[in-house]
Amino acid sequence: MARLEVARRSLMLGAAGVLAAPGLPRAQAPAVKLGILQPVTGALSQDGEYGRLGAELAIAEINASGGLRALGGARIEMVFGDARSNPEGGVAEVEKMQAEGVLAVVGGFASPICLAASQAASRYDLPYVVDVGVSDQIVSRGLANTFRFGPGFGVVTQTALDNLVALNDGAGKPARTVVIVHEDGLFGSGMARLLNAELPKRGFEVLETIAHPTPARDMNNVALRIRALRPDLVIPSSYYAEFVLLSRTMQQQRIRPKGIYCVLNGAASNFRFVREFPDAANLVMDCNHWADPRKPRTAELRRQVEAQNRFWLYNTPLNYSAVMLVADAIERAGRADRAALITALAATDGAFTKHIMPYGPTRFVNGQNQAGQPVNTQVQNGDIKVIFPRDFADAQPVFPVTG
Amino acid sequence: MSVRDVLPILGFAALVALAPLLVTSNVVLNFMVFTLIIALAAQGWNILGGYGGQYSFGHAAFFGTGAYLTAILQVRFGMNAWPAFAAGIGLAALVGLAIGALAFRSGLKGSYFALVTLAFAEVFRVLANAAEITGGAAGILIRLRADPLNFQFAERSTFLWVALALVVLALLATLALERSRLGAQLVAVRENEAAAQALGVDILAVKLRAITLSAGMTGAAGGLYAQYFLYLDAQIAYGTWISVEALLAPIVGGAGTVFGPVLGAVILHGLAEATKTVAGSIPGIDLVVFGIVLILVVRYPPRDIPGLLRAWRRR
Repeated sequence: MARLEVARRSLMLGAAGVLAAPGLPRAQAPAVKLGILQPVTGALSQDGEYGRLGAELAIAEINASGGLRALGGARIEMVFGDARSNPEGGVAEVEKMQAEGVLAVVGGFASPICLAASQAASRYDLPYVVDVGVSDQIVSRGLANTFRFGPGFGVVTQTALDNLVALNDGAGKPARTVVIVHEDGLFGSGMARLLNAELPKRGFEVLETIAHPTPARDMNNVALRIRALRPDLVIPSSYYAEFVLLSRTMQQQRIRPKGIYCVLNGAASNFRFVREFPDAANLVMDCNHWADPRKPRTAELRRQVEAQNRFWLYNTPLNYSAVMLVADAIERAGRADRAALITALAATDGAFTKHIMPYGPTRFVNGQNQAGQPVNTQVQNGDIKVIFPRDFADAQPVFPVTG
Repeated sequence: MSVRDVLPILGFAALVALAPLLVTSNVVLNFMVFTLIIALAAQGWNILGGYGGQYSFGHAAFFGTGAYLTAILQVRFGMNAWPAFAAGIGLAALVGLAIGALAFRSGLKGSYFALVTLAFAEVFRVLANAAEITGGAAGILIRLRADPLNFQFAERSTFLWVALALVVLALLATLALERSRLGAQLVAVRENEAAAQALGVDILAVKLRAITLSAGMTGAAGGLYAQYFLYLDAQIAYGTWISVEALLAPIVGGAGTVFGPVLGAVILHGLAEATKTVAGSIPGIDLVVFGIVLILVVRYPPRDIPGLLRAWRRR
């Protein structure tokens, strides 16, 4: 009897409480924690900051439009981790996020960070969505928790070569000879090897492959060598500072090949370069990640970013899209549960349209989005335009470059 | 070496070994494992730099060799992780012997020796970045197969115990060295090479033994790193970061002492973590603290934390 009495009393107390506070909104669903992992200290800090920006904007947008509907309007709460530009930093932050109870992790940026962090996350069956990291090993390890919305290295280079041939054929095959300039470390050497193997098969003649160190302070010798060889095309694989230096030196020495065609270049798809050195940047082409220019949301997001006095880099739309992907999967999973989220992520299809990347209908195989692809961009009169593939292009390619 | 000498090491071992029973947070365990890996690499540096006075700026050469061979034997040749790890230590020690033979036979000392070691580490980094067998720029990935037979563990605590066991072994080896004839000769070489030679110490042989032991220890740290993070690239394995970590910890904690490297690694990394927790919103703030500690330690002799404490107590 006594127990019933207590129950009744507490029930009445509760009822009184509800009645006494009519102005309070209904109890809010608990927030869903989402881990955002980016390197914001060290060598990769610029990329990390722009990745974080994209994730922040996506989370803000979701929360402003009523949160996650399937979870009763639950807000997304960002748990940010600084991967400090190295894999150990990424792993340490994933451990912290796990302790905080995040539902999923998005980001990583560099391949080594993505590889180590997604592996650490897999210990807890914690869904991990890679934002940029292009290493093909990321999605070939059989980790069920790891997803990549963007394209991998193999797809990027294949597309770059195919598009180069299409571009050249479309213009009446003006280019035949090529000089490859690459940084001698990390990705430049691998890219140069691949180009050397593939370009001759596609009817191009590689005149010379010139390596330079990173950092390099002077590109005069490289530029002079290019001038002597007089190639139709220059294909550089370098980081930001070295490519800017090379293109400026070539401009100063009036070396004008029929085209400068970059693959995953650090500068050619970077508005900082375009703003600071508009003449050197003009008509440079790149095959890289880029947002879909035809989607209205892309332009809005770009305005939001530029209103903060920031540049429009691919990191921002990639992270924005990755967060949108996770939010979409949570809606479909219907609950804040990791296993359900992994199943939902893997089942993502063309109905997911909230991303702003120039991809076809989403379809995941072994965690890799099969529709993920790079596009070809070209700097045209102070803007970065998409010139390939034609379905997503907002400008015609200017090739061969004359004058 | 009496029981009393070994007691502090056993105390340290017991303290760390019991940690997983008290702390369940994997954040803390992960931090401890990483600190132990650094402490092991630093202990290796301490043998050559601390006891022998031969300051190396390129211990990455040994760390990377241990790490790469551990990974390559597994990934490319399908070897089991344990013998691969042992082979990694062996090759690192051999590389140490070879670099030592080249540098010490030519009579390189002081900053010249430091520069040569740095150069070797850089050459290895460039080679590893270009070679096919190391995976080049794409790096090398050890498959995740959590099984003690594969030197991979489902629990972070198990890895902590393995890392601890290796650090304790290194501490015991250092203590034994300190008490041995070789240790005394090594210190004599550090204090006055000419005098040691005059007393009949075979300087070259002493230095070569020290660098071999030193390289083996740091190579073990590399192998541990490979097994823990399961991914390597040239920048991780042969990058300057590990050379710097390996020399900072003993310098801060007390070079030429048994516990110096462990103490230094714990202080530097503990302080960095604490700062990150307190002022987490400012990126890189922990590196600022790292820098300040280093400036303080170098500015005020005796130049390590125990020395600072002693000096402060004497006032």
